[in-house]
Amino acid sequence: MSADDYKVLVAKDIADLIPVFMKNRHKELEALRVALAAADFEQLRQLGHRMKGVGNSYGFNHVSILGKSIEDGAKSGDRAALAATITEYDDYLSKVQIAYE
Amino acid sequence: MRILLIDDDEDLRNLLSRYIRGQWPDAQIDAYDPLERSIPDESFPLGSYDVLVLDYMLGRGDGLEWLKVLKQRADCPKVLFLTGAGNEIIAVRAMKAGADDYQRKQELTRDRLISSIRELTATEVERTVSPELAARMAGHSLGAKVHIPGIKVLHLIGEGGTARVYLASREDDDEPLVVKILRQEIVLNKKALERFMEEYSMVERLQSRHVARIIGHGAHQNNVYLVMEFFEGGDLSKRLAGKPVPPPEALKLFRELMFALGDIHEKGILHRDLKPQNLMFRRDGSLAIVDFGIAKDISAADRTGAGEVLGTPRYMSPEQVQGRALDLRTDIYSAGVLLYQMLTGRHLFDGETAMEVAMHHLNTQPAPLPEDLAHYQRLIDKLIEKDRDARFRNADEVIGFLARNFEQEKPEITQKLH
Repeated sequence: MSADDYKVLVAKDIADLIPVFMKNRHKELEALRVALAAADFEQLRQLGHRMKGVGNSYGFNHVSILGKSIEDGAKSGDRAALAATITEYDDYLSKVQIAYE
Repeated sequence: MRILLIDDDEDLRNLLSRYIRGQWPDAQIDAYDPLERSIPDESFPLGSYDVLVLDYMLGRGDGLEWLKVLKQRADCPKVLFLTGAGNEIIAVRAMKAGADDYQRKQELTRDRLISSIRELTATEVERTVSPELAARMAGHSLGAKVHIPGIKVLHLIGEGGTARVYLASREDDDEPLVVKILRQEIVLNKKALERFMEEYSMVERLQSRHVARIIGHGAHQNNVYLVMEFFEGGDLSKRLAGKPVPPPEALKLFRELMFALGDIHEKGILHRDLKPQNLMFRRDGSLAIVDFGIAKDISAADRTGAGEVLGTPRYMSPEQVQGRALDLRTDIYSAGVLLYQMLTGRHLFDGETAMEVAMHHLNTQPAPLPEDLAHYQRLIDKLIEKDRDARFRNADEVIGFLARNFEQEKPEITQKLH
């Protein structure tokens, strides 16, 4: 990923929603790990689907892309791909830089 | 105004509430979490709301099932149904189940949400007074009136200079389709209409995966329509979003465009209106061209349609600007302008008016490509030569040039949009 991929521009008037949004993403990351460990592909699919839906809405397009990848990985039961995507999600959440416009 | 939001995602509920309150500060918005509560029962005051915003995946529940149940109630308010992008069959089923509007969740912006709620809650007076709303209402009622054998017209999803665009479905299997109903000013021009029918008959018979599949066309009570495949991946303008496309990917898309032009030119059809909005992506990422400019040059509609003032002149060939007879090379020029935009993320020419942009195509030499794209300069130059005799003569020539000069440049991955 390039440095630009970690930069997110968020509208100022939703700035106060971002802490809850980010907290939910970290909770989601943990839920993904638990679901992968339990090979709970239905839960993984639902979590991925939710990420896909909410990421773009807040301007976090990469969350949606990873969500789609998790949803697809869950449908095909591809544990290795899911593990790689979850690692990438962890990396993304730790490095994402938010700016407000 | 009272709005009920049923969605299993706290963040989305928060965001939609914020958008609505930003527009209507006094709105009462009730969030309903389907992970904590089951479907509203008879005692729930559904009728006290003006709009219900309902998601299609509710965690433990199925939004479509909820919609069907709630719509059976006499007090059910207008429903805005949220669907997933790339899953238009859900939209088809929601509209059939009684949803009053739908939005793709991933593409739901503040403006789209507000516009949808405004439309759903507008009073009769507002619908008459606001030209925008009045036009939308006229579009909705037109869609309901047009009968196409085997096809159900479901919902107005767009308005262009020459046609209104509807989500539709095949009655047998709910396959999502698009129906375009030509505007009356096009239909009333008999000569243009004959040409439209004749040329779309040819397009319909054209078997090319690079061209939108036309399922049928015809007329019903003075309304001329076209039925075509639905593109779940959206169009090139959505993918560009003001940014460049990585060169190998741009070249891949351009090559597909050349195949498309090769196929239509072979049948004697010119596109005449290539622009990002007319290059569509299927779910698998493949590209197809739509909206032949057949009706365009016989009407001023394209120049007056909302949002299209600069759209067409940006990609016009010099000979189009001059009103000369067109040939294959006019599409080659427009494709070159598109390639320039894909590579640089910028328009070839800018201007404050359509005329200014058009005149640049005639008189202005474009700025050279940036240094890191210099490799593509010769290709671009030969595509957008102002003198068409110096341009590539046809798509085959371009494909040959690409094969000789850029064969090694393959994109690492084919970008799928969903």
